[in-house]
Amino acid sequence: MRSYDVVIVGAGIAGMTAAIYVARAGKSVILLEERMHGGQIINTINIANWPAEPGISGAELSQKIYHQVNNLGVEVEYVKVLSVEESDEYLTEQDAKNAARRLFVVKTEDGDYTAKAVIVATGTEPRKLSESQMKDAGKRTVSYCATCDGAFFKGKPVVVVGSGNTARHEIAYLNNIASKVYHIHHDDPIPEDAVAVFVAIGRVPNTDAVKNIVDLDESGYIVAGENCKTSVPGIFVAGDCRVKDVRQLVTAAGDGAVAAAGVLAYLA
Amino acid sequence: MSKTVLMDFYADWCGPCQMMKPVLEEFEATHGDVEIKRVNIDEEEELADKYNVSTIPCFVLERDGVEVAREIGVMPLKKIEKMLEK
Repeated sequence: MRSYDVVIVGAGIAGMTAAIYVARAGKSVILLEERMHGGQIINTINIANWPAEPGISGAELSQKIYHQVNNLGVEVEYVKVLSVEESDEYLTEQDAKNAARRLFVVKTEDGDYTAKAVIVATGTEPRKLSESQMKDAGKRTVSYCATCDGAFFKGKPVVVVGSGNTARHEIAYLNNIASKVYHIHHDDPIPEDAVAVFVAIGRVPNTDAVKNIVDLDESGYIVAGENCKTSVPGIFVAGDCRVKDVRQLVTAAGDGAVAAAGVLAYLA
Repeated sequence: MSKTVLMDFYADWCGPCQMMKPVLEEFEATHGDVEIKRVNIDEEEELADKYNVSTIPCFVLERDGVEVAREIGVMPLKKIEKMLEK
């Protein structure tokens, strides 16, 4: 089994920032990422609110942070984490006597890791279409990113599902490309002539792997205050998967630093 | 020996596609036997149509002109290498 001081689940902005702090403090750390480092932001072409670099693309920003992490000697493994569990072992003999800090086991599709502390920075993902709408969509393209896939439907009718901010942005973007942009709400029937379905019905947290160990709120977000401490000592949370009001790049990075500081204090 | 081609459908405006550039460079450096064909979907619309590509980044692996694997979205090197098992 591979052992680290700290295992960070998720290599988005929050997770990578946490890794920078933890590595600089001299702890061994690994980032486990299911998809691609950078996370949600890689779909954004033009970032307006990252200090010092207005207009930078999400891909470039992610790549820059990734290099910074890499240069600090942090390993990044691309693997899906299945669960985080408490083991029977303690960090020290003193901990065993006090029934205090236990080692954690992070189970993945490709073997297990042990960690003295864990930071969960798994972010969110788009909420999927309902089953009936999926059926309705049939063989048509279903996309969760107009800026990624809109260009394929030049001069063709498309439909946007959703009623929030993201839906409005997708509609504005597609209006410049498609011949017609239908707008429907969650669970409305999909117009027959639409050749592609763009879905913007909100996001859901990626917290399945930790739902059995830390407290989640009714929407699945990990319950923790601004100190990023979860209901389990030794497990910290950072970024969009935490219960919070403002989900932005800078708050994700901020969480990364706070969670890392929490981990370092916990391990001290 | 069969000829293996990895087609990379991308566009300049596609952020995730940019993320895949260094991954593909690494792939190219370690898999000299696989030909990499980069397809800019804005310039080669017909080819994108022919392959029925409507989401990018999209990777299509062909052996002797026959599609054997297809993956959509950003992915680490490991996952692209896994396509070669097909």
